[in-house]
Amino acid sequence: MQPTSSMNEEFLKKWQMGLQIVRPSIDNTSVSERKKAIKLSADIAMASLRKGTTCWSRALIQKTATEDNFLVRQMLSGIKEEALINKRLPKKVVCHRKIVRRSKKILRRKTKSACEEAAAKAKKLVKRRTQGLRNVVPGGDLMSNDVLLLQETLDYIMSLQTQVNVMRSIVDAAEAGTEQ
Amino acid sequence: MGFSCYKYPFLLYPHLTLPLLCFFLTLFLTATCFLNPKKKMKMNGGAIEADLLLNCTDMSVLERQRAHLKYLNPGFDSPLAGFFSGSSVIDGGVIDGFLGTDGLNLPMIYGENTVEGDPRLSISPETMTGTRNFKKRKFDTETKDCDGKKKMMMNRHEEEVEEEEKSKITEQNNGSTKSIKKMKNKAKKEENSCSNDSSKVTKELQKTDYIHVRARRGQATDSHSIAERVRREKISERMKFLQDLVPGCDKITGKAGMLDEIINYVQSLQRQIEFLSMKLAVVNPRPDFDIDDIFAKEVASTPMTVVPSPEMVNSGYSHEMVNSGYSNEMASSGYLHFNPMQQVDTTTSDPLSCFNNGQAPSMWDSHVQNLYGSL
Repeated sequence: MQPTSSMNEEFLKKWQMGLQIVRPSIDNTSVSERKKAIKLSADIAMASLRKGTTCWSRALIQKTATEDNFLVRQMLSGIKEEALINKRLPKKVVCHRKIVRRSKKILRRKTKSACEEAAAKAKKLVKRRTQGLRNVVPGGDLMSNDVLLLQETLDYIMSLQTQVNVMRSIVDAAEAGTEQ
Repeated sequence: MGFSCYKYPFLLYPHLTLPLLCFFLTLFLTATCFLNPKKKMKMNGGAIEADLLLNCTDMSVLERQRAHLKYLNPGFDSPLAGFFSGSSVIDGGVIDGFLGTDGLNLPMIYGENTVEGDPRLSISPETMTGTRNFKKRKFDTETKDCDGKKKMMMNRHEEEVEEEEKSKITEQNNGSTKSIKKMKNKAKKEENSCSNDSSKVTKELQKTDYIHVRARRGQATDSHSIAERVRREKISERMKFLQDLVPGCDKITGKAGMLDEIINYVQSLQRQIEFLSMKLAVVNPRPDFDIDDIFAKEVASTPMTVVPSPEMVNSGYSHEMVNSGYSNEMASSGYLHFNPMQQVDTTTSDPLSCFNNGQAPSMWDSHVQNLYGSL
């Protein structure tokens, strides 16, 4: 499941479009501003490749829309932007902390054998890591399902790889151009 | 099945036991031939018949026995139905003793043969005569004989055989009684000759079914555990894909370690993107123009370097490739598409190489080739 060349091409096209939109606003600004714009456009380009089919892309678009709504709207004008942005994300499950803690205490009272304890420890470790993954992947805390989370992570990693590939090649080319 | 095969080798080799039986029959016949010189002429005919029997292995035991009895009693008639069972018993006994010298475990075999042969023998006269009244009488006598024999057999075996084998014998006896009942109902020869075999086959089938079901007993079958199993399988499948995707993850076993690695990888990718966008912002004040420029160059370059010539690789590129850590294979395949400007600055100090060596981890190299191929 390596990122394909067609994905690279598509991403490059999108990104170029985004940069053209961004260009007048960042022509004479600081480096950090420019960097932010570039990163935002790249993120949106990456997310728009999925066309709203995946959870992480929708979450990413929502996040970027809070930062630069105009850019997002411009970049997603090709596809159904409304559908993309306004698509309902699954609601976060909210539960009362005290109640959860109490129930955990009740569970803990049961005496366990050594084997069970080890299994519980391993489970706890995995749970913590899964939580970490949720924090890393955009929209991860909205995925209640472990299977869904892993699937989205797979997809997210693929698109991240594409993005990095394209950006790196562009940077290389740009550096070469300046040297020239 | 295992112990029965061990104790009754004829069950394993039915095709061997039948010719053996025939062989011993002929031996017996020849012996009697020598003893009774009066019947010599007939005996010769009998020997020929026996030879024929030996040749045609398809014939059932019943047919052979009937032929043998026919030969022994040329004036064979239906009233001699009682004689049949008796003669068969005598036969069995004689041959039994005859074979006992060979050290084979034959009392069992012959006992069983007689038990199995009884229903068949009881048919044979009926088929010969074809009179109904006789049939009924004959059946009565036959069944009585059979029962008596069974009792005898049971007594004989009870002394020798363990409980399990006993039960088996009773099963067989039951089978024989069943077959007798069938005969009473249908009075068809072929069906009865087949019935024992078919019953054996069905028994075996039942046994295999039982084993098959038993093999599945380990797994829980309620819907919750099945769903849980499906979920776990799905997760492990995804984890396998992730292992393929994330470099260095295939060495790690365990879910927690793999998740750690995945998190690290995703974070490194995100940091990489940050860094690259920063770099792009620093290097070029007008990034979109830059990309346009690259595209123009790329479009211009593609017709030139569709077929990468070996001279080009050898002259200008080779040392650059080595410096930047690219393999020769990449140079020959996709890398040349992107290179009109680098062709120019081979003489200058190489920016690519320093970037590659300084910042980018080696894992990107393979992906870069992909992009160059696409452009």
